[in-house]
Amino acid sequence: MSRESAREIRELRATIRHWRRGRVDTRFVDAFNDAYVAVFATLMLGAMAVNVVINLRAVGRGGCTSGLCVQARTTLPWLLVIGVAAACLGVARLFGPMLVTPAVGTWLLPAPVDRAALLRPRLVATCGAALLAGALLALASSALASFAVGAVVAFSVVVAAGCALLVAVAVVDQARGLGVTGALTWLVAAVSWAGLVALSAGRAPDLQAATAYGPGWPAAAGVAGVLMMGAAALAARSLPLLSADRLKPGGSLVPSLSGALATVDLALIYDIMVARRWLARSTVRSVRARRRGPTGGAALVWRDLIRVRRAPQRLVVLAASLVVPYLGAAAGLGRVLVLAASVTGFVAGLGLCSAVRVVSRNPGLARCLPMPTWQTRGSCLVVPGALLLAWGLGTAPAFHATLPALPGGDWPLAVDLGIATGFAALVAITRWLTAAPPDYQKPLLSSPTGAVPTSLFGALGRGLDVLLLLTAPILLSPTPTGAVVSIGIGVIVLGVLLNRERS
Amino acid sequence: MSEPGSAPSGSPPLLRVRGLTRRFGEIAVVHDLDLDVAAGHGLALVGRNGAGKSTVLRCIVGADRPTSGSVELNGVRIDERSERIRRDLAVAMDDMDFFPDLSVVEHLDLLARAHGVEDAEAVVDAVLAEVGLVPQSDQLPPTLSSGQRRRLALASAFVRPRRLLVLDEPEQRLDAAGRAWLAERLRAEKADGLGVLLASHDEQLVAAVADATLSLA
Repeated sequence: MSRESAREIRELRATIRHWRRGRVDTRFVDAFNDAYVAVFATLMLGAMAVNVVINLRAVGRGGCTSGLCVQARTTLPWLLVIGVAAACLGVARLFGPMLVTPAVGTWLLPAPVDRAALLRPRLVATCGAALLAGALLALASSALASFAVGAVVAFSVVVAAGCALLVAVAVVDQARGLGVTGALTWLVAAVSWAGLVALSAGRAPDLQAATAYGPGWPAAAGVAGVLMMGAAALAARSLPLLSADRLKPGGSLVPSLSGALATVDLALIYDIMVARRWLARSTVRSVRARRRGPTGGAALVWRDLIRVRRAPQRLVVLAASLVVPYLGAAAGLGRVLVLAASVTGFVAGLGLCSAVRVVSRNPGLARCLPMPTWQTRGSCLVVPGALLLAWGLGTAPAFHATLPALPGGDWPLAVDLGIATGFAALVAITRWLTAAPPDYQKPLLSSPTGAVPTSLFGALGRGLDVLLLLTAPILLSPTPTGAVVSIGIGVIVLGVLLNRERS
Repeated sequence: MSEPGSAPSGSPPLLRVRGLTRRFGEIAVVHDLDLDVAAGHGLALVGRNGAGKSTVLRCIVGADRPTSGSVELNGVRIDERSERIRRDLAVAMDDMDFFPDLSVVEHLDLLARAHGVEDAEAVVDAVLAEVGLVPQSDQLPPTLSSGQRRRLALASAFVRPRRLLVLDEPEQRLDAAGRAWLAERLRAEKADGLGVLLASHDEQLVAAVADATLSLA
């Protein structure tokens, strides 16, 4: 970067800052007060969090003495950080990771300024955020797992550097179009999943030795730091290669997601993500039915089968999530396993239900179809419903493993619980996807953040309310009767949701 | 006096609207409106922006609930939940969106098959060629231009059985050739015995298609 171009960037930033300061609407005293509250709250909450970690560490040391418990406690931090690495890569892919705001995309990207100088602060911020997230999580998880103090520090350094390294690699990939970030994400996720499988099967490697501080730790921290610096340098050198078409999509996604979050409309976030995913693909190989193809509602069902074939990753995610109930069974959750499993099915099955969301959100499209609303939505739920019921049946062995803790159960009860779990997940997904967004035309509630619709905060618990309602009979009575009652309530709730006219 | 769009022979109209009123609070956007659309006839709603054209259409197709009044299609009170009404009423309005993961041709194929159209493949191919979207047939709707999305919305009304076409400013975002095609197509629809009800700002389209116009103040 030439000194001249750096000066240009500084001048442009100074001009933008000047504009912003010309529109200041907060007094210095107010800003100081806000800052004081923020710092005080951070310190107080941070101290509380540290205190909780220290106490849990002490409790863990005292109460978790069996071989399996110690093994799980020492393995979980590793699995957690692998999961964080996958999350870092996923978020990096979602937003770019390098992005520019729409304003910068409109005004500064087309200007003849040094692009590397423009993007460098964002690279530092992005890698810094990954570093901080990795460090905090590693610190908490390793402290809880009773790592030695030196090992906690070194482990945190390794993880933090690893997260920043992955983000830097994603930047290089974004600039040079290598296409490795996607593969890397799946690889890291697969490793994480394999670890969970091993843990749930009681075959996790013994990592207890790693909790002690040894000469390997500083070496690992040093290597991780050097690798991170190298990747960051390479990413910085790649910045001039980033084209506007790779920078703008992430920037336009941020305001969309911010708007959805501001209204606590989580289903809108789902819409944005689905739309973005398919926009990136732009074309598909069209599949049409043969001469005597399915008609009526069956045409919608058939299209859903094509969807599953077109994007099988969603099916892979659903199948992979089966490990969670088994992990819960290994952890001895007992009857609470029903709730944990149905929450897992709810989250993992959401991706399969985009069709019901589209026909519920778009009355214009639903109006084009000849079927009544309940039939349209019901047809869109046939394939996801079948897959979730199969998923529920897949959890039956996990329930069977917990049955000794339950009164009078065997395989038929395990199968009943599995079916009830899959069905509860399906009904909860339907509730989540067909619910109306917050209605700002209705009377609003006064709150410190301004006027809010009455349904705003309820939106956060949407879906989970149905899960609690449907799993309650089983939690109270883990018997075939409890499962039947749960399914019966589910049928009624599903009927109401399918018939509800206004989404 | 006959209502706008009524059949000259006095035969019962395909669409009959009586006393339609739609209020938003104190404001009556539509007040005591009567209109008829006969089979094989076209009625155009015209008027300035905000005159209530789209509100009338939304009330007729069941997308909005009128404050008072009745809407009948072929003698049956319109309830958009009714299978029969959905089968007979083809609508292209601005609120139409598409599945993000189905291509252009898959949308039309889905609609045709959902309506049980015989030889759906041939019908879809013909309509696709007519609206000029053959090169875009594998494209996903979000990647289409606004004019192409409009053509897709119109095509979705033409691949299915229908007795009454309700179109809200169908000329929007269409180029000159597209507007000429639309006028020709709607004339052909009338010739086939279908009723056409449209709201439009395009005087040429109105002149070409409408047997009667209803000006909303």
